[in-house]
Amino acid sequence: MRAFEYFAPQQLADVIHTLSTAGGNARVCAGGTDILGRLKDGVDTPDKLVCLKTLPEMRYVRESNDGVRIGALTTLSTIEEDPIIRKSFPLLVEALYVTAAPQIRNQATMGGSICQRPRCWYLRGPFDCLRKGGAKCFAVDGENKYHAILGGHLCYIVHPSDSATALVALNASAKIQGSKGEKTVPLEKFFVGPEVNILKENILEDDEILTEIFIPTPSAGARGAFSKSRERQSYDFALASAAVQCTMKNGVCAEARVVLGGVAPIPWRSIEAEEELKGKKLDPKTIERAAAAAVRKAKPMTQNIYKVDLTRQLLSKSLSQIMV
Amino acid sequence: MPKKVKTTVEFEGRVSEILVDIPDIETPLWGNDAELDIVGHPIPRVDGDKRVTGAAKYTSDILLPHMLYGRILRSAHPHAVVKSVNSSEAEKLPGVKAVISAFNTDPIRWHGSSSLFDKTARLVGDEVAAVAAVDEETAADALELIKVDYETLPFVTDMEEAMKDTAPKLWPNGNVVGGKPSIYERGSVSKGFAEADLVIEETFRTQTELHTCLETHGSVAFWEGDKLTVWDSTQAVFNVRDALAAALNIPSNHVRVIKQYMGGGFGSKLELGKYTVIAALLARRTNRPVRLMLTREEDQMNTGNRPATLQHVKVGVKKDGTLTAIELKSVNANGAYLGGAGCGAPYREMYLCANVRTEEYAVYVNTGRSRPARAPGHVQGTFGLESMMDVVSRKIGMDPLEFRKKNYATVNQAQTNPKPYSAKLLDQLYEAGAKKIDWWNRDKSRNSGDFHSRKRGVGMASQIWGGGGGPPAYALVKINRDGSVNVLSGTQDLGTGTKTIISQIAAEELGIALADVAVDLGDTETCPFSGSSGGSTTAASVGPAVRTAAADARLQLFEYAALELKVKPEELSSRRGKIFVKSDPQKSLPFKEAARKAGNNMIIGKGFRGPNPDGYSLNTFGAHFAEVEVDMETGRVTVLRHVAAHHSGRPFNPLTMTSQIEGGVIQSMGYALSEQRVIDPASGIPLNMNMENYKPMTALDVPTIEPILLTQVDEHCNTLGGKGIGEPPRIPAAAAIANAVADAIGIRIRELPITPDKVLAALKSSVPSHKV
Repeated sequence: MRAFEYFAPQQLADVIHTLSTAGGNARVCAGGTDILGRLKDGVDTPDKLVCLKTLPEMRYVRESNDGVRIGALTTLSTIEEDPIIRKSFPLLVEALYVTAAPQIRNQATMGGSICQRPRCWYLRGPFDCLRKGGAKCFAVDGENKYHAILGGHLCYIVHPSDSATALVALNASAKIQGSKGEKTVPLEKFFVGPEVNILKENILEDDEILTEIFIPTPSAGARGAFSKSRERQSYDFALASAAVQCTMKNGVCAEARVVLGGVAPIPWRSIEAEEELKGKKLDPKTIERAAAAAVRKAKPMTQNIYKVDLTRQLLSKSLSQIMV
Repeated sequence: MPKKVKTTVEFEGRVSEILVDIPDIETPLWGNDAELDIVGHPIPRVDGDKRVTGAAKYTSDILLPHMLYGRILRSAHPHAVVKSVNSSEAEKLPGVKAVISAFNTDPIRWHGSSSLFDKTARLVGDEVAAVAAVDEETAADALELIKVDYETLPFVTDMEEAMKDTAPKLWPNGNVVGGKPSIYERGSVSKGFAEADLVIEETFRTQTELHTCLETHGSVAFWEGDKLTVWDSTQAVFNVRDALAAALNIPSNHVRVIKQYMGGGFGSKLELGKYTVIAALLARRTNRPVRLMLTREEDQMNTGNRPATLQHVKVGVKKDGTLTAIELKSVNANGAYLGGAGCGAPYREMYLCANVRTEEYAVYVNTGRSRPARAPGHVQGTFGLESMMDVVSRKIGMDPLEFRKKNYATVNQAQTNPKPYSAKLLDQLYEAGAKKIDWWNRDKSRNSGDFHSRKRGVGMASQIWGGGGGPPAYALVKINRDGSVNVLSGTQDLGTGTKTIISQIAAEELGIALADVAVDLGDTETCPFSGSSGGSTTAASVGPAVRTAAADARLQLFEYAALELKVKPEELSSRRGKIFVKSDPQKSLPFKEAARKAGNNMIIGKGFRGPNPDGYSLNTFGAHFAEVEVDMETGRVTVLRHVAAHHSGRPFNPLTMTSQIEGGVIQSMGYALSEQRVIDPASGIPLNMNMENYKPMTALDVPTIEPILLTQVDEHCNTLGGKGIGEPPRIPAAAAIANAVADAIGIRIRELPITPDKVLAALKSSVPSHKV
């Protein structure tokens, strides 16, 4: 691990200032469950590490008329146990419950979970891959059992965050703070695939951090479900996951958001599946059609063909839970 | 003078004949009817409190004044000539005290014709240079400043590729270890196949498993003048001492090796490690103590593995279930240096069969070296054999358990003159296990999944292993003037409970309370020799020596008690803290009072392990029964129940025995379902040297494990009536789980680990997957 300068600012403005003067050579640390591993493995070699834990704000779950706001420094276990969240967003609670292990959820934060880097073993290992500015993706001809079947383009990482998958399904938005001020973007637009930027997974500039997540109040009749498959049941990143949020009216699916995790470089919104659901009665046939549509464009590699069936099954499972 | 005789001993499947003394103090067998107060009782670990409170000092806890920290620079290439090592930049880094490599040290022979820092690297992770610095971070930074000029060579990491003539050669004589397969044959398999009603062929594969000891390998080295003291996380203090003395060309009595507490070895810590010699060299060069603990990544990369196997199995069987021939052709990934690989033993020993042939290749590949891994060979071989027995029994329409009973062996057929087993109660284990899992009603289980998408199944597998132990092993028992007792033996407690069992045996024989016994192990300077802790041999090797030493000490103490009680020493016995006259137990003296009479007249009882019995094969047996649920949509396998029935003679301590069984099953569940080393084929770089992607099971992953212990004494094995249990529970567990999966889904997965991708692929095509 290379030596770095450590900052523990008391105010957000100081964080932004430090980031904006570091020329891209600073990283932020919230719960530390991802960045510490990256520092130790030499994946990141920043000059400066800016600790966010000393900031007084950004640890909250606040309900208002239009929805719920979650401070980026709120730990996953706090959110998982929060009564407002439990009441309004069971989909998010389900996703958090199967994220990592309880010890990690006690430490990891909302912002960190969304901004964590991919787990690709080539990215994390001694390989000069595209995402590190190198010349190629080593997974293409290598060990790609855990890699993307959707949305891959030159690089085939999968986005590791369960909570991001759930939050995109919940139509959440992200508040971003930077030296140019504050802005809010739909979380869906927060993530970028390799065709947009092969070096990072989101739109954050060097001087920006994620400060808050807003989840709008679900409309009446909204129902959500989350399904995830892991190789090791106790704690593991997703082989695949499927988050679904539907608004049901008289057994008919009025609105639907379908987001797949663990199968694409970003939380993968499946418009194809949503189209199959909208205006339809949610029955086994509709579910089968939607699940098939979700993976129709899948392009598996040599070792991850199983993810196609798995994703289809997980989406069916989530939709069946809503149907019941 | 004790009489010298020859005796046969077995360690990890290797049998040898050695010279041994017969103890002149007789300790009669503790038989089934022996009234024992401590041995055989569920005694909690004597050092459990120290382990859980952090008071126990592990090697990585040793902190000496002015101590430096060592780190090793490892090859980035799977096969390369190390042309030069330039450490000038590293040496300039403040805090760096020494950098050593092949270019500034005398060569030390290693792995036969290789050396400590070999100028040819043969795997990613081979030792190239090492640094000592004032702290670990500086040492790590220094590694990055060392410039190594490599000339890369062609490499091969796949064992089947390595066997081809065109493959890059790791060694001048080719990639097949010894240049030819190791062949065993009894009877004639061609005759056996001709006699068969049905001949079945199958191919099975197992992955590379990593030991993943919770405590990584490492040492602390400290020179006082020309005397070296080493704290080492090892299963064999004397092996390390003697090999270290030889490597450094100094006498054994100039080397002291200490191991107090350790967090697992599983076979990967049976020999001197390069890191120990490197720590000693760095310590000598800097004249300061050096601690060198491997990181998790280094540990996973280059401290050993259970080698991958390819097993082609051919079995001939008659319609009535009689086995007429068993043939195995196996390929085993030895790694870059000779490590020992083969999986044929269960095929040769487990079932009654006159015609058996095993042909086994061990192959050099540019990856980490194979090492004994908790029941080496047997775990891999039993997966293949017991999967095959399931296939065969199903093909002939016979119940898998009945089929196994039909082919029950009562003698060790692999021996030239087959000897009967000293105690084989496997039939009773079958009955007990089948009853517990409700084997005869398992169709009910198969149809009881919560949803139509989840299917349940039950499978079983059997196990044979050694574990009889043997000489040489020594112990001393000292009785202090207050009646407290010290036991010393140069064995080691790997975390298995050895210290507790030795305390029990000493207290039992002396007739005193467990609390009055202190046990010191793992120190080559203060303790008499005992062998390495492996092969499930420790308790059965060291235990009888401890008992003899205790009996010797007790006899000496009786001389003082006899004077007091005015009887002859041989008229006395002792139990529950009292020395009493056998014919008149009321006439007694407290043990501690007798010790006070002895005062400072030192009582030192000496004991050693006597010979093994002639005429018997010392083995241990077990049978596992697993019930699983398979999610047909996601391919996930969940073990619902795991019944593990074992017999090793007398259980010395049912609590530690149960722990061994539970630990063995948990490790095996990872082997069956999730653990697998992955190497990038293009670069030879291992990809999952952590516990994130190399996936051992955690407490949350395992169901309640249901051990069954048969307690009947083995009357032939030794004076304690008990054998080892360390390895047996690892052997049949994965095979039982795999058989349960096949029972559940009707398709056999022939390759471990049984991960969701394999299950889904099998369900989709029902064509078996063949990728390693």
